[in-house]
Amino acid sequence: MIASAFAGSVVIFLLLRMVGGDIATVMLGTKATPESLAAIREAFGLNRSWPEQYFSWIAGVLKGDLGEAYTGQYVIGTEIAQRLEPTLILTFGSLFVSIPIAVIVGVYSAVNFTRWRGVAVDVVAQVGLAIPQFFLALVLVIVFAVQLGWLPATGYVSIFIDPVEAIRSMVLPIATLSLGITAVFTRFVRTSMIEQMNSDYMRTAKAKGRTIRSAAIIHGLRNSAIPIATTGVLQIGALMAGSVVVENVFGIPGIGRLLLTSVMTREAITVQSLALVILLIILGMNLLIDVLYGFLDPRIRHKEARE
Amino acid sequence: MKNLAEGSKLTQVKGARNSQGRSSRKSLQLILGIVLTGFVVMLTILSFFWTPWDPIAVNVENRLLRPNLSHWFGTDRLGRDLFSQIMVGGQNTLYVTLVSTLIGVTFGTTLGLAAAGSGPRWGSVLTRISDIGIALPSILIALVLATTIGPGRLSVIVAISFWFVPVTARVVVGPARQILSLDFVEAAMTHGRSRIYILFRQVLPNIAPIVIVQTSMMFAAGILIEASLSFLGVGAQPPTTSWGKILMDSQPLVQEAPYYTLLPGSFIMITVLAFNLLGDGLAVLLDPQHSQKGVA
Repeated sequence: MIASAFAGSVVIFLLLRMVGGDIATVMLGTKATPESLAAIREAFGLNRSWPEQYFSWIAGVLKGDLGEAYTGQYVIGTEIAQRLEPTLILTFGSLFVSIPIAVIVGVYSAVNFTRWRGVAVDVVAQVGLAIPQFFLALVLVIVFAVQLGWLPATGYVSIFIDPVEAIRSMVLPIATLSLGITAVFTRFVRTSMIEQMNSDYMRTAKAKGRTIRSAAIIHGLRNSAIPIATTGVLQIGALMAGSVVVENVFGIPGIGRLLLTSVMTREAITVQSLALVILLIILGMNLLIDVLYGFLDPRIRHKEARE
Repeated sequence: MKNLAEGSKLTQVKGARNSQGRSSRKSLQLILGIVLTGFVVMLTILSFFWTPWDPIAVNVENRLLRPNLSHWFGTDRLGRDLFSQIMVGGQNTLYVTLVSTLIGVTFGTTLGLAAAGSGPRWGSVLTRISDIGIALPSILIALVLATTIGPGRLSVIVAISFWFVPVTARVVVGPARQILSLDFVEAAMTHGRSRIYILFRQVLPNIAPIVIVQTSMMFAAGILIEASLSFLGVGAQPPTTSWGKILMDSQPLVQEAPYYTLLPGSFIMITVLAFNLLGDGLAVLLDPQHSQKGVA
């Protein structure tokens, strides 16, 4: 994980410098005077060599000191810390909503896989995969906020201030973000369960007198955990990317919204640190999923211990 | 972008349980996929020559007309015909997706073959690199790029390709290794064929079905990413229109004109669904064997 974080930080650092090359020009625009360019290079240490810039940035990240934004006039580290809460609630909330649903629905459809009930799950998941998140968000707003008036369309309330309002404000965002990932996980569970259903040990379990359902839950699910875990990586990335979209539709003051604002105002220094924070969250979630599946399937635990 | 890894894993059906009903459902998927993707592509090509209305002609008197016989999808906030805009918007979305997918497939397949063909040491280095690429979501890369080179087509294409290349490499490398371990490859080696010859002339044709299925899946994912980025304002810039941008414009008006969001959004959804169906159908048609093993 540390190796990935390091490599990822290098990629982000280089991406911001490779094209065009000069961050000062990026931030001030091409019409900036040489004096102001020199001033901003001085202020952000951009006149140093790339390795120097990189290591002072990483040292800053480790110390929690990311410097100050240029146009925004805020301390980047503090700003990011404040915005972590909504983003983490949103993403982890979606993960915790979608995994149990996906496991239950996926197993159900695998057990009933020749019947129409199983097929129906597949069709619904197929549609769930195809809905763009921003569209789903707007549809939910039209139905639940505009037409029915049950839930707020935008805004965010911290769970520490007003728990009820906080939950109400997060229902639609979490629903939006979880649908796609639930569809993907459901299909993974379904396909890998169907494969397990035909295996010899399942036949043995059935011969011992287990019903198909209990054999599927007790034996099949554990064995299908590996393929699900190995493909979790992509889904976490998608989840974070989705949170950028969802935060912007629902006006949630999280990391994703700050990222988009910073991109639009060409706040390169903030973008650099924000991208890294998002990458770290992705890696952290991967670790979490690995641990969870490790509990589910001891073989994963042992495999990792060997590596 | 979520469905790539499962691409060819979708149909891990084995032996006796692969009933008649299921395979006919799969071919139904394929036919539906071909018809729907064909329809969208034709509409987009048609838009170069003809649209029902001028897609950029502002007519404020006709603003926010509900869908009717002359404006099939209604009109937008400036009175422009929405259906014509969707037709034209397809140009940008499909162009960006096509270019990124081609880059992704070409370089990704090459990288995957290289990883499979080189020794274990280089192979694992290449795998590591592609893992990092996969972990970085393309929306994030697009946002970082948009900071430096500005929002627009180029950022989006580079960002999507940046993600497609490692994903393809990852999908290709496993099957390529399997083929490399087969007898006929060894026979070719004893004939003194070069490694590159073997990889491109003998391995590549054998993994082509996987690459084709992957291409279709990536196309669907590309449309989703492009639309999301345009929706966020990082993709297509005015005057170019794009599917995501139409929805961005519709957002403030969800209360007044729900159709303005619902119709273009459904259109995007059906397009993505179509390419996914095409990929699923192709997976079964082209390579039942590999789609059973699960190669992603």
